[in-house]
Amino acid sequence: MRRRTGFKILRHDRSTTAGSVLGVVAIVFLVGQQLAILFGLFTYMSVLVDHSGADIWVLTRDVEDVNASGSLPVRYVDRIAALAEVEWVEPLVLGGGLFRSREGKVQPVQMVGLPRPRLENGPWRFSEGSLEVLLDTEGATVNNLDLKVLGTPGLFEFYEISGRRIRISAITRNIRGFAGTLVFTNIEKAREVSGLPPGRCSHIILKARPGSDVTAVASVVRTLLPATTVMTSPELSASTRRFYILDTGIGSSFGFSVVIAALVGIIIITLTMSMSVLNHRRDYAVLQALGGRKRDILVVVFWQALMIGLIGIFVGFLLLAGFLAGTRDSRLPSHMPLWFPPLHAGITLVLCLLGSTYAMRKAVRVEPASIFR
Amino acid sequence: MNSSQAADVAPIRLEGIARDFSDGKVLRRVLKKLDLQIFSGELTVIAGPSGSGKTTLLTIMGFLLKPSEGRIFIQGREVTRFSSDRLATLRKQKIGFVFQQSVLVPALTVLDNVVLPFGVQGQPVPKPVKAKARELLEMLGLKQYAGAMPQQLSLGQQQRVAIVRALINDPPLLLCDEPTSALDAESSAIVLDTLKKLSQDPVRAVILVTHDPRVFPFADRLLKLEDGDIVYDSKLGRQGEQVS
Repeated sequence: MRRRTGFKILRHDRSTTAGSVLGVVAIVFLVGQQLAILFGLFTYMSVLVDHSGADIWVLTRDVEDVNASGSLPVRYVDRIAALAEVEWVEPLVLGGGLFRSREGKVQPVQMVGLPRPRLENGPWRFSEGSLEVLLDTEGATVNNLDLKVLGTPGLFEFYEISGRRIRISAITRNIRGFAGTLVFTNIEKAREVSGLPPGRCSHIILKARPGSDVTAVASVVRTLLPATTVMTSPELSASTRRFYILDTGIGSSFGFSVVIAALVGIIIITLTMSMSVLNHRRDYAVLQALGGRKRDILVVVFWQALMIGLIGIFVGFLLLAGFLAGTRDSRLPSHMPLWFPPLHAGITLVLCLLGSTYAMRKAVRVEPASIFR
Repeated sequence: MNSSQAADVAPIRLEGIARDFSDGKVLRRVLKKLDLQIFSGELTVIAGPSGSGKTTLLTIMGFLLKPSEGRIFIQGREVTRFSSDRLATLRKQKIGFVFQQSVLVPALTVLDNVVLPFGVQGQPVPKPVKAKARELLEMLGLKQYAGAMPQQLSLGQQQRVAIVRALINDPPLLLCDEPTSALDAESSAIVLDTLKKLSQDPVRAVILVTHDPRVFPFADRLLKLEDGDIVYDSKLGRQGEQVS
């Protein structure tokens, strides 16, 4: 009967209920959307590491972000290759370039130069073409999501990147980097574009032999090349994300947005639920006069808060699903790991109940004797 | 039955009940150490001018307000020091309220309002209780409104629903606060007739607070309150004199 009463009061008081539900929807959608973008950025930040297939990365000393360009001698590759635990090792060039469109507009791109013929760390999803096209000396890829900003370049047409000729030989699908459009090409072309001299590379990647301890191999490489930074792929992925989150202000910016969204939601819930209790003061007095204890009144209001929370979470996640579906094939990064929705729903429900504690306090403080006034 | 036995079965007995209110500066005594015993099978009318303390007395008898001094006995058992939770349960079991305005919960149907005192502490409402509610509604000519919302009923009908609600737990004590003040003459007559009939049940006492003299003829016992004191009791006469 208490739950039924709570539910009926909710249904009767539609506009106030809608207001409270809106508060929950605000929390679910705004917080979820901000975090989905942040998670999307996470995937962009370390996309090259996460899809590399390499176990260990060697970078220029003190560099902790995979997207930072650097300069290492390619001869290090031979020294690493001599280690028994290493299955393969390849140099890599990551560097910036300026793509000039047919109309003459310039757009910054991130070059990823792969050594032929292995083409390790190459693109993994294609809209058109395949990895082999990069064997061509001038072959390069662009991403389907960036076609518009690059002036809709045509397949097999020639363009310039930082004054160097390339040919669009393939179009990758939904592969974007944190620094913008990723253009995969061969290592020599990437070196030309980014101005790295012959015999130099920005990164070295290697695969440990199956069954060997990757951390131990990294440690051996670290000893072998003390003037470099050596990290396993998960370490570099985490380090890159940490760098952007902590050192670039992205973390505090998103954190602030999330906190504001949650606060706005809680304030809306608190105000609307309190307003509802105020509107139903007489009803709560009646319930107490008829034998309702304080805890019975709490159950009525708690049940309302729970219902509002569940409805709001459902609606919020519907909107969030719409947002994720709408941004799946767009340049706006969005990603929601599977562990996030239940956690987000749980926290939102707790916030909703916290927001309603003020209303609960007001409801139990209603004087039953006030019914006679 | 001797006076001690009568006191034990009395639905409610008050001993030296006083109630003070303070506005932060001045302490005002609204009830002045009243002794009162209510008997079953009677309609007791408590009358008095505004501010005489009659509603305060009613709220104290309904455990909605704690007295500043004195003791309260329900069927011979002292309940003055009961916790608010125990008093709420006692209210549920022993007391039915009919307020000045019907005060039904607008979000609930008439039937839900009627069974509310039964389920207010979370118990599921069994079918026999719902059947009893329908019977009581039928008794007061409201059967067809069981599924209606309170707003769809006239004030008189709402007040009769409130009476049905007050009876659902079969309480030995029915407390009514000016139940006819918002009603027209015809509805008032119906409500008063109903309360009079209910008071004739030998296990139930009905207490009705009013300042409307038209109610007095329905009373089995009339109490007059002035300045927080009982100045007339038709059972005892003026200021405690036995009426022969």
